[in-house]
Amino acid sequence: MRRQSFLLGGLLLAEIIIFSLIGTNFLTAANGFEMARSSVELGLLALSLTAVIVTGGIDLSVGSMMGLCAVVFGFLWKDFGFSVWAAAAVAIVIGLAGGALNALAIAWLELPPLIVTLGTYSLFRGLAEGLTGGVQYFSGFPAAFLDFGSGGQIAVFGVAILFFGVLLHTTTIGRGLYAIGCSQSGARYAGIPVARRLSLVYLLSGLSAAIAAVVYVAHIGQAKSDAGTGYELMAITAVVLGGTSIFGGRGTIGGTLLGLATIAVLQNGLRLAALPSEVSGILTGVLLIGSIAIDRLMARPRKASVTNEELDVKNSQVAVLSAVILAGALIVAGSNWWLVRSVRVVGAKPAGAKITIGMMPKTKGDPYFVSCKLGAEEAARELGVDLIWDGPTEMDPAKQNEVVEGWITKGVSAIAVSVSNEASISTVLRKARARGIPVLTWDADAAPDARDFFVNQATPQGIGYTLMDETARILGGKGEFAIVTGTLSAANQNEWIKYIKQRLAEKYPEIHLAVIRPSDDDRDKAFAETQTILKVYPKVRVVMGIATPAVPGAAEAVKQSGRKDVKVTGLTLPSLAKPYVHGGTVESIVLWDTGNLGYLTVYAADAAAKGTLKAGVKEIVAGRLGKIEIAGQQVLLGAPFIFNASNIDRFNF
Amino acid sequence: MTRERSALAAWIVLLALLAVLAPAFFAFGNLRDVVLSMVPVLVVAIGMTFVIVSGQIDISIGSQFAVCSIAAGLMAVAGLPMVFVALGTCVLGIAFGLINGALVSWLGVPSIVATLAMMVAAREGLRLGTGGAWVQNLPSTFQWLGLGQGAGQFVILLVAAVLFGVVAWAARNVAGARAVYATGSDAEAARLSGIDTRMVTLAVFAGMGAMAGLAAVLNAIRFSDVQSNAGVGLELKAIAAVVVGGASITGGRGTLVGTLIGVALLGSIGPALTFLGISPYWEKAIQGGIILTAVMGEAIAARRSRLSGRHA
Repeated sequence: MRRQSFLLGGLLLAEIIIFSLIGTNFLTAANGFEMARSSVELGLLALSLTAVIVTGGIDLSVGSMMGLCAVVFGFLWKDFGFSVWAAAAVAIVIGLAGGALNALAIAWLELPPLIVTLGTYSLFRGLAEGLTGGVQYFSGFPAAFLDFGSGGQIAVFGVAILFFGVLLHTTTIGRGLYAIGCSQSGARYAGIPVARRLSLVYLLSGLSAAIAAVVYVAHIGQAKSDAGTGYELMAITAVVLGGTSIFGGRGTIGGTLLGLATIAVLQNGLRLAALPSEVSGILTGVLLIGSIAIDRLMARPRKASVTNEELDVKNSQVAVLSAVILAGALIVAGSNWWLVRSVRVVGAKPAGAKITIGMMPKTKGDPYFVSCKLGAEEAARELGVDLIWDGPTEMDPAKQNEVVEGWITKGVSAIAVSVSNEASISTVLRKARARGIPVLTWDADAAPDARDFFVNQATPQGIGYTLMDETARILGGKGEFAIVTGTLSAANQNEWIKYIKQRLAEKYPEIHLAVIRPSDDDRDKAFAETQTILKVYPKVRVVMGIATPAVPGAAEAVKQSGRKDVKVTGLTLPSLAKPYVHGGTVESIVLWDTGNLGYLTVYAADAAAKGTLKAGVKEIVAGRLGKIEIAGQQVLLGAPFIFNASNIDRFNF
Repeated sequence: MTRERSALAAWIVLLALLAVLAPAFFAFGNLRDVVLSMVPVLVVAIGMTFVIVSGQIDISIGSQFAVCSIAAGLMAVAGLPMVFVALGTCVLGIAFGLINGALVSWLGVPSIVATLAMMVAAREGLRLGTGGAWVQNLPSTFQWLGLGQGAGQFVILLVAAVLFGVVAWAARNVAGARAVYATGSDAEAARLSGIDTRMVTLAVFAGMGAMAGLAAVLNAIRFSDVQSNAGVGLELKAIAAVVVGGASITGGRGTLVGTLIGVALLGSIGPALTFLGISPYWEKAIQGGIILTAVMGEAIAARRSRLSGRHA
């Protein structure tokens, strides 16, 4: 146990040393504060999970509980007029209620914690999505509350650390938890009220998640059903990394804090060193396996006995340990050197006052953004600037904030963001502007006072109207159509749907929207949903797919159904729609030249960094695009473009 | 046994509801499409049954599925005949499984931790490698194995049915399968009675990987391109199906028929909601509710019979 803490401490030290060398502004007080501030939500979950895992249990529902509490909090504050603190109190009660459900099933009905919390993981998130229709979010919280979120939460975290530290390590209740983890029946025979103790830890887990939810909302300024997505796994990683045994009976709060610190430093350091965020995920996994494996290897008993004797640390084992840490350090340094080298080859200017542009898509994996990136890289090459392309790998609104925070610390010359969630990103973008870093948004906008300019390919209204008009044209002015969207909570898709419905109501009284189904940005799901739509709504003649994977999925379903009378249209990349356009299932799709969007954004960001693009300027020159008009604060690429059989082969993205 | 029956009962209730309110569900075309969409989950759940019965868990199969799907596409584009594409994909899956198995049985890393790390590493690595690009311009022998839609669909269903039949028979009659149950019941007792529990663990994870690879192929050949981010959430679907079907998460109990019922029940919910006109926003909540009800219902019944002295 102590060995693992020693090992982890050494690893943490190594990380800090490496990142202060290769990361910009890593070893500053501001950065340290920022790391502490962003780790509070995860930290609260990890603290309560330590107690749960020590008893031999697990709680996978904590992230989903965050979502549910956030949503309830938002509802009470906005729709029912509760004060922020009253709403928080009720949200905490909800957390306790959820914890009670887990406690009932696990402590009293003696069901396996993994299965129960797997069920509540779905249930809580599902309730949060159901209550808000997946879409609705709450923002505009009072300044005092948001101020709490810019530093006050560290105090809450401190109190939680004290509480759990005392509970686990000094009280008899805590001792009882370890006993339960070692052997439930043994603890029962020793007179420990097992069911009551287990109920306590799951109640605390729900409570922690609720407090984390309130902190989260204060931190990013938005309450939405997707709060806390993925946090349960990260929290478990921190706890296990910190030396707590997943089987129970072993673990310390100090170890969990070390584990948290190791992960936070790793993610922050990699970001400041401009390494892609996927590396952080992979390295976290490697660290997790590595630390457990080393611990198990060194504790391997000499005789074939069942118990786990702790051995003395031999010199040779210390050597192995040091070699592994060194190897890990070399890998990180080496990958950074390779990356820096490749970026330097792209830029033509000598090192010195080199402009660095931080450009962030909504998610890195979406082919739409990948095509924007190509144009952006082309512009970066022409201009000789360093382009840092980074962002969340999943649709995580909080991650966007973290990346921007990292860029602020690093001191980039300009920031350009495609916004996932308007309310949450605006807080951190305003901060960047206050520090003198010009901020642009592209593809999807933030609050107008949070950015200098918005590089707009087309307005949501323009997109919605064009989509509706195309559908109406294909239907011949009357009939039924269906929409397959991305995820139910995607903000820009819901905006388009709003304008589609508006256009439908205004101009096409003889057309009826039969149903809207989500595809969760999964082509296979879009395929299955469309198959069902065709059967449940046989009068539908057009399926409109408004997410990149939705159009090919829907088109394949229509093609396989043999329904020649049904057509598919929507918003997707030409390359994904091409086979269906030539096959006749897709008549046309609506988009714009995504590469040009990326290209223009980099030119605009570069101009903003140099000072040529500022308030009042009416046009800029953007390389091969020529003169681009600026209307107010919007840099306009143009109108939506309709791709069909006559022109689609000209495009390569 | 009780949980299998309650899962079956729940499914029958759902079907009865559909028969009354939306009989169009039972049209041959719809049933065929719903069953086809359940095939990847079923294949993966077959592998997961053995993993859970042996007392382990594997949450990395969604990521394995994604990597194997892309690999299948890339192999096909490189010109390999489909037989080798299928074999190669399964071999890739087995390789993933062997890594998981080695971590669990030799290094002693708990399976939830090892497969958690694998899940993140595989998906992030895939994204880093492909940059989110789909695999397109597949040869014409890829979709439906070049056999055309009708025959291709038949082949997929046939492979799934034969696989299920063979594995279900083997689970009861092959000695190696008994070893899996023994290891899950009590690993130490199994070891003392001469079973090499390490090899059993390695084998179940390798088998799981093979199933992930096979499911990836069976799914990929329904389409004419391979998407970059397949299989998100697949592991949870498989685990839920296995558990709802009666397997004990602590190991030692579980049947393939139960898994089949679990897959059928959970896979019918999505389309059923559309047919019944229920808002899709509630789908996750309903699924979570069903898992909890299935699990809690059996526990309450067992408790009641235990307290009253009767055998469960």
